[in-house]
Amino acid sequence: MALKITVDTAPNPTITLVGRLDTDTAPELDSALNKVFERKGIARLVFDVSALDYISSAGIRCLVRARKAIEPGGGKVAVVNPQPGVRKVLDIVKAVPAKGIFASVAELDEYLDAIQQQVRDQ
Amino acid sequence: MSSAPQWPAFRTVRGRLLLWILAVVVPIYAAAMYISYRFTAERLEIGAQRDADELASRLAAEVDAVIRPIEGGIRTVAAQLEEVDPPPEQYESRIRGVLAAWPDVYGSTIAVETGGASERRPFAPYLFRRDGGVGFSDLALDSYAYQTLPWYRRAADGLDAVWSSPYFDAGGGEIWMVTYSVPFFRRAAEGPRSLAGVVTADLDLDWVRAAAERAALGPIGMGWLVSAPGQESFVAPIGPTAERIAGFDASLEAEMFRDVGERMLGSSTTFDLLPAGSAAEPAYLAVRALETLDWRLLLVIPRADLLREARALLERQLLLGGAGLVLLIAAISFVASGISRPIHALAESVDGARAGDLDFRLPEAPRHDEVGVLTEALRRMRDSLQHHIALRAEDLAARARLEHELEIAASIQQSMLPRRAAHAHPVGARVAAALVPAKRVGGDLYDHFERGDGGLIFAIGDVSDKGIPAALFMASVSGLFKVLGSAGELPDRLLAAVNERLAESNDACMFVTMGCGFLDVSTGLLRYASAGHDPPLLLEVGGKVEPLSAENGPALGVETLATYPLVERYVAPGDTLVLFTDGVTEAAAADASLFGLDRLSALLTERSLGDEPAALVRRIVDAVGAHAPDFHATDDLTVLAVMFTPRGVTASRRADGEQWLIEAEVSPDGIREVRQRLRAILAARRVAAERIDDTELIAEELLTNVVRAANLGGDGEMSVELALTRADILMTIRDNGPAFDPLSRPSASVDVEIADRDVGGLGIHLVRELADDCRYARVDGRNVLTIRMNRMVA
Repeated sequence: MALKITVDTAPNPTITLVGRLDTDTAPELDSALNKVFERKGIARLVFDVSALDYISSAGIRCLVRARKAIEPGGGKVAVVNPQPGVRKVLDIVKAVPAKGIFASVAELDEYLDAIQQQVRDQ
Repeated sequence: MSSAPQWPAFRTVRGRLLLWILAVVVPIYAAAMYISYRFTAERLEIGAQRDADELASRLAAEVDAVIRPIEGGIRTVAAQLEEVDPPPEQYESRIRGVLAAWPDVYGSTIAVETGGASERRPFAPYLFRRDGGVGFSDLALDSYAYQTLPWYRRAADGLDAVWSSPYFDAGGGEIWMVTYSVPFFRRAAEGPRSLAGVVTADLDLDWVRAAAERAALGPIGMGWLVSAPGQESFVAPIGPTAERIAGFDASLEAEMFRDVGERMLGSSTTFDLLPAGSAAEPAYLAVRALETLDWRLLLVIPRADLLREARALLERQLLLGGAGLVLLIAAISFVASGISRPIHALAESVDGARAGDLDFRLPEAPRHDEVGVLTEALRRMRDSLQHHIALRAEDLAARARLEHELEIAASIQQSMLPRRAAHAHPVGARVAAALVPAKRVGGDLYDHFERGDGGLIFAIGDVSDKGIPAALFMASVSGLFKVLGSAGELPDRLLAAVNERLAESNDACMFVTMGCGFLDVSTGLLRYASAGHDPPLLLEVGGKVEPLSAENGPALGVETLATYPLVERYVAPGDTLVLFTDGVTEAAAADASLFGLDRLSALLTERSLGDEPAALVRRIVDAVGAHAPDFHATDDLTVLAVMFTPRGVTASRRADGEQWLIEAEVSPDGIREVRQRLRAILAARRVAAERIDDTELIAEELLTNVVRAANLGGDGEMSVELALTRADILMTIRDNGPAFDPLSRPSASVDVEIADRDVGGLGIHLVRELADDCRYARVDGRNVLTIRMNRMVA
C-alpha cells in the first residue's frame, strides 16, 4: 500500500512510480513534483507507471497538476506504459491526452525523435 | 439315605454313624436276645418235662414199693388157697396173717364163690383195722350180696388179679381206698379148674397222700396225683401244691385238668399250654400216666414261673445290651466328634477367610488321619492363597502406579495442548479444538498460538502409532513445534525445520503427519503446508465447502532433507478452516462403513448461520460418535477449527450469496482499512484482479468524499457492506455525515482543455464510469450509496 517515487536528475526528468497512487500517497507525489517544478524550463516530464498498480482520482489530480504547471511554458507531460487498470482510469478521466500516453519508453523515444526531426525540419 | 437329610440330626457325621450302626446292631441284638430267650424257654420247658418224668417215676416207685409186695402177698395167699384148699373156717386166720404182714392193708377178705358147681353157701369174713385192733365184719349178708359188687365181679369174671379204682369207703372206714382182688381156684381130679373165690386187700390211700405230700415238687408249679378219668375222683396234691394254688389261682382244682390231660395222652402229648381261660394266667400242663393203678400225674406250671428264669435272663441281657448300646453310642459319639469337631474347627477357621482374613489359624498338632490330611491341604491352600494375594496386591500396586503415571502423563500431554479458550485469541481469529485419545495418552496433537508478526500459527498432527510411544513422540513433536514455530518461519520452512530435527535422531522410526497453517489475521492471507496430512476443509461464509489442496511433502521424521510446498490464499472473514486427523474420517461404524470425507463435508455444509468453531467441533465429535459409538477404541480423534474473525467485519450469509459489513472510523486510516478488507475478501473469492481494483477505486473515491465532508466532532460513522452474489458485486456505503448526494454533482468536464479544468468531480466521474449502477438515498439520517457492478469484467 505504498508508493515509491524515483525522480532522475536529467534536465527533462522521468518520474518512476512504483506501487499505488491513491489518496494516501498522492501528497508524497505532490511534494516530489513541487521540487521538480522548482527547476525552470522543463520541456518534458515523463511518468513511468509501468510498475504502478493502482491509481485513484487523487493520483489523477497530481498528473493534471503537473500538466498545468508544465504545459503553459510549452512543456509536455507524457505517461509511459500504464497497466490496464491504470490505463482504464486514465482513459475514463482523460487526464492525459491520448497522444501523451505511450506504451513503452521506446515508443516515447521514437515520438520524441520525430518531434525533434520536425523542429529541425522547420 | 434319601430321607436322612430331612432330619438335620442325621446330616452330621455323628448322626449318620449312630443311625447306621444302630440300625445294624439293634436288630442283631434283638434277634440274639429272642433266640436266646427262645432257647432258654425251650430248655426250661424240656427241664420241666424231665422234672415231670422224674416226679412221675419217683411217685411210681413209691407206689410200687408199697403195692408190689402187697400184690405178691395176696397172690401168694390166693395160690395157697388153691393149693391147700383149706376149709373156710381157716380163712380168718389167713386174713389175719395178711393184716399182720402188710401194715398198709386196711382190711382184707376171702369171699367164696357160690355159683356154678361149687354149690357153696356165701362166705366172706372181712377183717379190718380198728382202733389199733382188728375188727370183723361179715360180708356174706344177704343185704350186701358181695357176689354182685365190682371188687368181686371184676376179679371173678376176669379170672385175674385186678385193682379197683379208688373209692371213698363211706359208711365203712370213711377213708379213700383201693381194693386188690385176686381170684383163686379149686383143682379137681380131672377137668378144668373152677373159680373158688376171691381174695382181696383194701389199701388205705392215706399213704398215697402222704407219699404225694412228701414228694419233692420242685421250686415251681402245682401237681396232683389223680385217679384215671371215669373213676371216682381221687386227688392227692403233691408237695406244697396247696399253698401254691393260693398264690396262683385259688379256684384251681385238679379235676379241671383230668379231661384235658386225658386228651393230651390220647394225642401222645405230655406237655402243653393249657387252653386259654383255664386258669387265671397262662400255664403249662404236664401229664403222666402211672402204670401202677392207672393213675395220672398232673402238673400245672404257670408260664410266668417256668419262664421266670428265661425272663430274668432276657432282662439281664436287655440290661447288658442296653448298657452295651449306651456304651456303643457313647463310643460312636466320641469317635464321631473326634472327626467332626476338628472339621468344625477347620470350617470355622476357614470361614474367617471369607471376610478376607487369610491369617486364620489351623491346628498345629499333627494328626495322622484324614482330618490331618485335610488340615494339611487347607494349610497349603491358605499359604498358597496368601502367596497369591500378596502377589496380586503387588501386581495391583504396580498397576495403580502405572495408572497413576499414565494419569500424570495424560495430564502432562493435555498441558501440551493450548489451554486458551476459543474466544481468547484477541487477534481476529477464533479457534476451537477437540482431542479424544483412543488410550489414556494419544499420538494426536494440535497447537495454535499468536505470533508477534500479526498472525496465528496453527497445526494438527497424527503420530504413526498409538499409546505411550506415540505420546512420547507427540511430546517431542509438540515441543519442537512450539520452539521452532515461535521463530517466525512460515509453515513450509517450519515443517522442514521440525522434520530435520525429528529425522536426524529418529531411531524408533516413528513419523508424524502434520498440517500447518499461518493466518495473517489482518488480511486473511492463509499460508498452509502439509507433511502427508489430509487436506483441511475450508468452510466459506456462504456454506460452500472445499478442500484446501496442498501438494504434500513427506511425513515428518522420514527424510532428513524434505521440502514442503506452501499454498497461499485469502480467506474471507467468517470463513472457517477445519483440520482433522484420520480418526474422524476413518471412524468405522458397526457395518464397517467409514465416517468419510463426504459425511464431514455434508455436516459442515449444514452449518447454520453464526456457528462458532466450538459448536462446529463439538458437532463433528458428536456426529462421529453417533456413526461409530466405539470410535474411541480404534484411533485418536482430533478436530481443529480456525475461524477468521477480524475486528470490524461482520460476515453473514444471504439468500443469494454472502455479505460482509465493514465498519471503520471516518478517517484516512478507516478508508485504508476498508480498502484492504475489500481487496482481501474479493481475492478470497477469486474475483478478477481488475474488478478488485475497480471496487477498491469506487470505495476510495466515495469514502474520501465522506471523510472530507465529515464533521470534525469525531462522532462520524461509516460502513461498507460488500455483498457477493453469483453475478454481481454489491457495495453499500453508509455514513452519518451531512446529507450529500455526490451523484447530483455534474460530472467533471473531462473533454475541456486541461488548463481550464476543475480538478474536482473526477472521483464521481470515475465511480459513474466504473459502476453498472449507482443510487443515492438518505435513510434515517444517513447517506446511503448503493453501487452495483457486474462480477465479470465486460
